[in-house]
Amino acid sequence: MTQTMFLEVKPREEVGSRRVARLRRKGQLPAVVYGHGQESVNVALSLHDFSEALHHGHRVFETTLDGQKATLLVRDLQYDHLGKTIIHADLMRVNLSEMVRVVVPIEQKGTSKGSHFGGMIDEILDHVEIECRVSEIPDVLPVSVKDLDVGESIRAGDISLPPNARLVTDPETVVLHCHPISKAKTTEELEEEMPAAPEVIGEEAEGPEDTAD
Amino acid sequence: MALMPKRVKYRKQQRGRMRGNACRKNFVAFGEYGLQTLESHWITGRQIEAGRVAATHFLRREGKVYIRIFPDHSYSAKPLETRMGKGKAEVAGWVARVKPGTVLFEISGVPEETAKTALLRVAHKMPVRCRLVTRRHSL
Repeated sequence: MTQTMFLEVKPREEVGSRRVARLRRKGQLPAVVYGHGQESVNVALSLHDFSEALHHGHRVFETTLDGQKATLLVRDLQYDHLGKTIIHADLMRVNLSEMVRVVVPIEQKGTSKGSHFGGMIDEILDHVEIECRVSEIPDVLPVSVKDLDVGESIRAGDISLPPNARLVTDPETVVLHCHPISKAKTTEELEEEMPAAPEVIGEEAEGPEDTAD
Repeated sequence: MALMPKRVKYRKQQRGRMRGNACRKNFVAFGEYGLQTLESHWITGRQIEAGRVAATHFLRREGKVYIRIFPDHSYSAKPLETRMGKGKAEVAGWVARVKPGTVLFEISGVPEETAKTALLRVAHKMPVRCRLVTRRHSL
C-alpha cells in the first residue's frame, strides 16, 4: 500500500535547458507540479532525497507549496541516455481518497509447471494499468505462475487486484506466455539463409531497359 | 557470411559521423537483462554473431537472446597494394552504428546470475565498453 513521506519542494525560476542543466549540477532535480485545475508550477527538489524515496517504493509525497499543504503523486519520470539518473519528474496534485489511473508492475511468483517440460515464460507485459484510490496503490501485483503449462498464457483479466481497484488495461491482453524453447540456430544455418550480397533495389529493373536501347 | 541486409537501395554509403547519445533503443524492451554500450562505435556483423554464439553456447537452450542492433551500414575498403584513386572501393563489410546508451543484447527467462555471466561473455566480444542493465518498470 502507498506510503507517504514529506518532500521539500521549492518553486524555481530557472527554465530552459542550459539553466536547468546548471540546476542539475547543484544536485537539484527540475520538476513540474500540476493537476486539480490549478496552474502548473515549475519546482526544484533534491535529487538525492527523491531518488532514495523512489528506491524505497514511495510514490506519493506530502509537501508545502506556496504555504499550502499538497499531496503529490509521481506521474512520470525522465531518465538520461543511460537510464541511470532522473533528469525530470512530473508530479500531480491528488487527494488520498481520489481515484487515479496508475501503472503497476507485475511480479511472477513461483516456478511454472511448463518449465519442467522444456518451456519458458515470456513476459510480454511487465505492468498493467489500474484505477484505484491514491492511498491504496499497490507496489506490485503478484501473479502465481505455478499452474502455467507449455502453450498456456495468463491474461490481464486473470490477475487478482486489490479491493476497490479496477483494471484499465484490456482484460484479454496476454501478460505472460509459456512457450517451448526453440533451438538456437548455428552460424552455419544462418549463413545458408543469408544472401552472399544484398540485392540492390532497382538494379534488375534497369537491366532490360539498357538492352532494349 | 555475417549479418547483412537482404535488400538495399544503394550498395555504397558515406561513412558519416556519430555524435551525441542514444535517444532510442536505450532501454531494455524485450528481455529482463540487457547489455548497454557506453561508447559510440561501429559494430560489425561478425562481432554481433560472435556475441550471439557466446551467449547461446553459455545458456545451453535456456532462456532467450534478443539482438537489438542490426548491421545496416556498409563500409568499403581498398585492396592491399592498390594505388589511390579510381573511385570508391568495393563494399568490405556491414556494421551497426551504436551510440552511448544503445542496448546491444537482451536476455530473458534465466536467473540474474546466469544472465550476468552470459552478458559478460558477450561484452568480451564487443569492441566497446559495456554495462549490464535491467528492465525498468514504468510508473
